[in-house]
Amino acid sequence: MPSNASPGNRLVRTGGRIRAWLSTPANLILLLFLILLLVLTLYPLITMLLEMFTVHIGREESLTGLNAGEMTLYHFQRLFATAKNNYSRNQFWTPLLNTMAVSVTSSLIAILFGGTVAFLVTRTDMKYKKFVSSVFVFPYIMPSWTLALFWETFFKNVNIGLKTSNGIMASVFGVYAPEWFVYGFFPIALVLGLHYAPFAYILIGGILRNMDANLEEAATILKTRRFRILFRITLPIVRPAMLSTFLLVFASSMSAYSVPVFLGSPVRYYVLSTKMKALMDGTKGQAYIMVGVMILFGAAILLLNQKVTGSRKQFTTVTGKSGQISRIRLGRANRPLALILVILLILVAVVPLFTFALESVIVKAGDYSLSNMTLDFWIGQNLQERLDQGDSTGILLNPKVWSALGFSLGLAAVCALVAGTSGILVGYGVARRRGTRMSNWVNALSFFPYLMPSLAFGAIYLSMSSRIPWLGGFLLLALTGSVKYLPFASRSGVNAMLQLSGEIEEAAVITGVPWYKRMARIIFPIQRSTFLSGYLLPLVSCMRELSLFVLIVPTSNTILTTMLMQYSEKGWAQFGNAINLLIILVVLIINFTVNKLTGASIDKGVGG
Amino acid sequence: MPEITLQHVTKRFGRFVAVDDLSLVIDNNAFITLLGPSGCGKTTTLRMIAGLEVPTEGRILIGDRVVFDADRGINLSPDKRDVGFLFQNYALWPHMTVWQNIAFGLENLKWDKARIRKRVTELLEMLRIEDFEKRYPSELSGGQQQRVAIARTLAPNPQVLFMDEPLSNLDAKLRTEMRTELKRLHRDTDSTFVYVTHDQLEAMTLSTRVCIMEDGHLRQYAPPLEMYSRPASLFVAGFMGNPPMNFLEAESDGQVLTFAGIRARFLPREGTVRTGKLVLGIRPEAVMITDHGPEARVWSTLPSGMETTVRLRLGDQTLTSVVFGNLDYAPDTLVRLQFGSPALLFDREQEGAKICEGSLEIL
Repeated sequence: MPSNASPGNRLVRTGGRIRAWLSTPANLILLLFLILLLVLTLYPLITMLLEMFTVHIGREESLTGLNAGEMTLYHFQRLFATAKNNYSRNQFWTPLLNTMAVSVTSSLIAILFGGTVAFLVTRTDMKYKKFVSSVFVFPYIMPSWTLALFWETFFKNVNIGLKTSNGIMASVFGVYAPEWFVYGFFPIALVLGLHYAPFAYILIGGILRNMDANLEEAATILKTRRFRILFRITLPIVRPAMLSTFLLVFASSMSAYSVPVFLGSPVRYYVLSTKMKALMDGTKGQAYIMVGVMILFGAAILLLNQKVTGSRKQFTTVTGKSGQISRIRLGRANRPLALILVILLILVAVVPLFTFALESVIVKAGDYSLSNMTLDFWIGQNLQERLDQGDSTGILLNPKVWSALGFSLGLAAVCALVAGTSGILVGYGVARRRGTRMSNWVNALSFFPYLMPSLAFGAIYLSMSSRIPWLGGFLLLALTGSVKYLPFASRSGVNAMLQLSGEIEEAAVITGVPWYKRMARIIFPIQRSTFLSGYLLPLVSCMRELSLFVLIVPTSNTILTTMLMQYSEKGWAQFGNAINLLIILVVLIINFTVNKLTGASIDKGVGG
Repeated sequence: MPEITLQHVTKRFGRFVAVDDLSLVIDNNAFITLLGPSGCGKTTTLRMIAGLEVPTEGRILIGDRVVFDADRGINLSPDKRDVGFLFQNYALWPHMTVWQNIAFGLENLKWDKARIRKRVTELLEMLRIEDFEKRYPSELSGGQQQRVAIARTLAPNPQVLFMDEPLSNLDAKLRTEMRTELKRLHRDTDSTFVYVTHDQLEAMTLSTRVCIMEDGHLRQYAPPLEMYSRPASLFVAGFMGNPPMNFLEAESDGQVLTFAGIRARFLPREGTVRTGKLVLGIRPEAVMITDHGPEARVWSTLPSGMETTVRLRLGDQTLTSVVFGNLDYAPDTLVRLQFGSPALLFDREQEGAKICEGSLEIL
């Protein structure tokens, strides 16, 4: 090497190197997002940590005898070690245990149901596959409380829960379901399991579909029986995907809020998330400790998942050489099996919609005769003359509903735009500089919001916003949503970019096509549907989001989902059902319109 | 057309040194091949000259223009270097037709419409793909895609054309055909070609000069036939030629070599024979099967019609002979051998360097 390392020379070299480094768009993007994500994820996390030790204005002052703003260990001591009145057990340990029980059970249900359907669709000659595969993802697109509300309205009766009125089962069929069946552990776990089954279906089905058929054929040639092939070859190959599904569903169930609120609260069955929301009122310090616990669980699960999926790569062999998968013939069992599945899917995905429609038109609860029906709750006026509670107009004539719908749509659009675009940029930067420390950092940080349960995430943004006066209202909601949904978008962004060989872009670099034009004319058009999926998932999620926003909305009437919550809490069942149906329809319409127009789809986003 | 100069170019990826202190001058109008086993740094070198990869150290000039200088912080972007690049998997844009693929780069250079139309038509004709202008890349065969990629690369009339294993995705027959076309193209376009391959036959047949690399180091830089007959080291000798050169372990007393039970006088034409353990290298075509000389046993015979490859056991060593014409020896037939020239001597103690060239006289 020529040795000319005089100090001035070295300065020129360093300057030149920095300039060269920054002239690469991928580097610039990574630097920008590294700073942004550090601010948007680590800063709120730190403020939340501080909240755990801070005395808040109000009840905490009198409880501790300290002034607001002072530091204390009281919250920890109170939450974890207060034997008096079984406080710790009721407030923390029992909800924790309930959370674990619900999450484990729902994960098992999701895998069993989703995995079985994935197997039937990809590996057998079952009938009605097309219907099954398109309807099966419905519950995942619909808000998670859909099934919970359906379950409650269908089975509730005057003997249990809040003992208000009879649901369809009791009033029409005269069947009074026992309390454990309608409220508490069993329905929560079942409903969450059914809601996340599509997740298992997408993940496991993806592996089954891409699995090299040669692996099974090799076993067939060696005269292995079908049944043995399934247990010795096929299942072991999808085992990592199953484990990964288990962990992801576990994490999601753990942070679920709306389902336990609807199906647990009436019988005082609490999980961490619902307890945390309750503690927020007056005992913020303890609530934030609970948030911390949930985040720790989330992080542990995701680390575990990384370990599992890390070894997954040895299994998935996508050769594309033998596309001919020999399908198992179901023979005589085919039609009955298919019919059972179709009926089950209709029950889970279609019947709830009809139930909500029905419940939104009956005047007196429990009476399903035609004379008891009215469209007042949708389009009625001057209702106060006829009803003793509720709004004075039907929801479609209520300006509050329209403004909330408008707000929700606007919020969803902004979050999708910000998260989706960031996702593409992050994907570009991460894929282009793959292997560098910077790329790994940004990749990990952009996934970080996924670790945090929605309710907890809302809570820490709440605590951050309390320190920043101009952060509130729409801006706060939009920021929270954008950051929270970034993982979905960056996932599809990275996937899309990794599928694209670097040469495709370099071929344009050589002829001097500027960066923005390479993105707009070459990279985006080629991976259009995957990139757009990165927009769709935040859009749909945001539209039906409750737990993320419930703590940070200015008023309950701001967005549709919190409005629904409020109506349901007030017991205005018909209005609530009408709004619920409205939300579900809007979400389904958005999803299928975008899907038809652009080819983007939810499962493309999840499939990573 | 310009000359390309690399001065002390080094590229490190973290701790891994991909290219180590490489200096090289590529003559104007040359057809240079960067040859070596995978991971030797040849593609990295090509990408550094094109500007797709930033070197860690060194200086690169195209013509008398400095396009990269680590010491002065100069790094011209690829589009300012006036080069064309043909990628291994063609990198055709799948969402654009053949015509759009070729025209896209020209639109960026702000050529006017009429001029673009003229140039694209010209290229379509030149590469005989006129019929496909409205098709998308996925509707073309591998060979057609290759031609489109070449047309796209040639479109802006680059002074220098870089090619990264452009034929490796084609089947054997098409590869031979494209090889002759590339050579013709080099003449017709009158530009400098830099070509990366791991296929020694491609390097032999196409290039005016071959640059052979190993572990990021330049091992030899010479015209292909010279490299074939006068390789600088064991590595180069073993890499060039198929079937590869025979290497026989030999013991030297300064004049007489002993190998595989044979004693032979080495008659040097260049260099001096030292005493001790050496490696004797003889090309397969210089191992002649005759009716006199030392006796060898036929291990197997591979007739291919035009020529026949014979694997032989000579004492405790194995060697290969290539004989013109159609022969078929039964295994274990006894034959007699003569050794033609050149015979080469390599010294393992000097990293396999060639120390001597000459011929053998069997005693």
